[in-house]
Amino acid sequence: MFDDLKRFETGSPRQFDWFSQLLDSFFPDGNAMDIRAVPRGSFPMINVARSDDAVRVYVFAAGLTPSDLIIDVQDNVLTLRGKRESLTGSNEDGSARPVFRRERTSGEFVRAIALPDGLDAERAEARHAHGVFEIVLPKREELKPRRIDVQAA
Amino acid sequence: MNNVVRSSNHSPLQQRGEEKRERDALLPAVDIIEESSALKLVADMPGVTHETLKVELDNNVLSLEGEIALDMPEGLSALHAEIRGKRFARRFNLSHEVNSDAITATIVNGVLTLTLPKKDNHRTRRIEVQVA
Repeated sequence: MFDDLKRFETGSPRQFDWFSQLLDSFFPDGNAMDIRAVPRGSFPMINVARSDDAVRVYVFAAGLTPSDLIIDVQDNVLTLRGKRESLTGSNEDGSARPVFRRERTSGEFVRAIALPDGLDAERAEARHAHGVFEIVLPKREELKPRRIDVQAA
Repeated sequence: MNNVVRSSNHSPLQQRGEEKRERDALLPAVDIIEESSALKLVADMPGVTHETLKVELDNNVLSLEGEIALDMPEGLSALHAEIRGKRFARRFNLSHEVNSDAITATIVNGVLTLTLPKKDNHRTRRIEVQVA
């Protein structure tokens, strides 16, 4: 009967996150991975964080203006699409210029990432500053943490 | 021997700290192209603002450094993180042909653009091939 108590473990699973992330970075492709996982360094890079009342997605898309990024949410999948112009590789007279490095992604891109359940896409908001987009997806009311008062007997 | 150690500007501990900072920094993706009168360097540093960006030139070594300034609320826990760090840093050796006094830098939407003008005597000149 005490097996049920396992569900009430209070230790934060976050403590192991850094470790699993470390393992991920050492053994990237060994085990089964998320179906939507992408190689490291894909453009744009995405961080996802959770607070009590919302999930926040940070999209690191340098060089994009708000009108360059289209953000869609459907069935808990967030899709980002857009286009980034490449540096024009030609001189004023139209001749090609030498290029020594071309590491920055250019052209069209689409990225999709799965979000946790229970988000209210209707109330989602997005902001943009210095090449970082912040998308705030509030949790549905019934999923927010709630304090339960103990009634006097 | 001791003198040699003491003459160093940094204590060994400080140096180790700096090396660690160097390792922890994210490497920004860059494009480098050559124009007739200048080299152009473009670096992706999303989240870096005009205030948190540092561009330095020391002994022909150009160093770019920027802190990601994100306005994040308290009490967030990470679910997924592709950017694991707060700093971008990268260094380049410049050749003597660059006129280091005339370097200009701008950062717009997290994209740093550096223009490294060439000294006058290093600009491209077209050489006509004579008919024999």
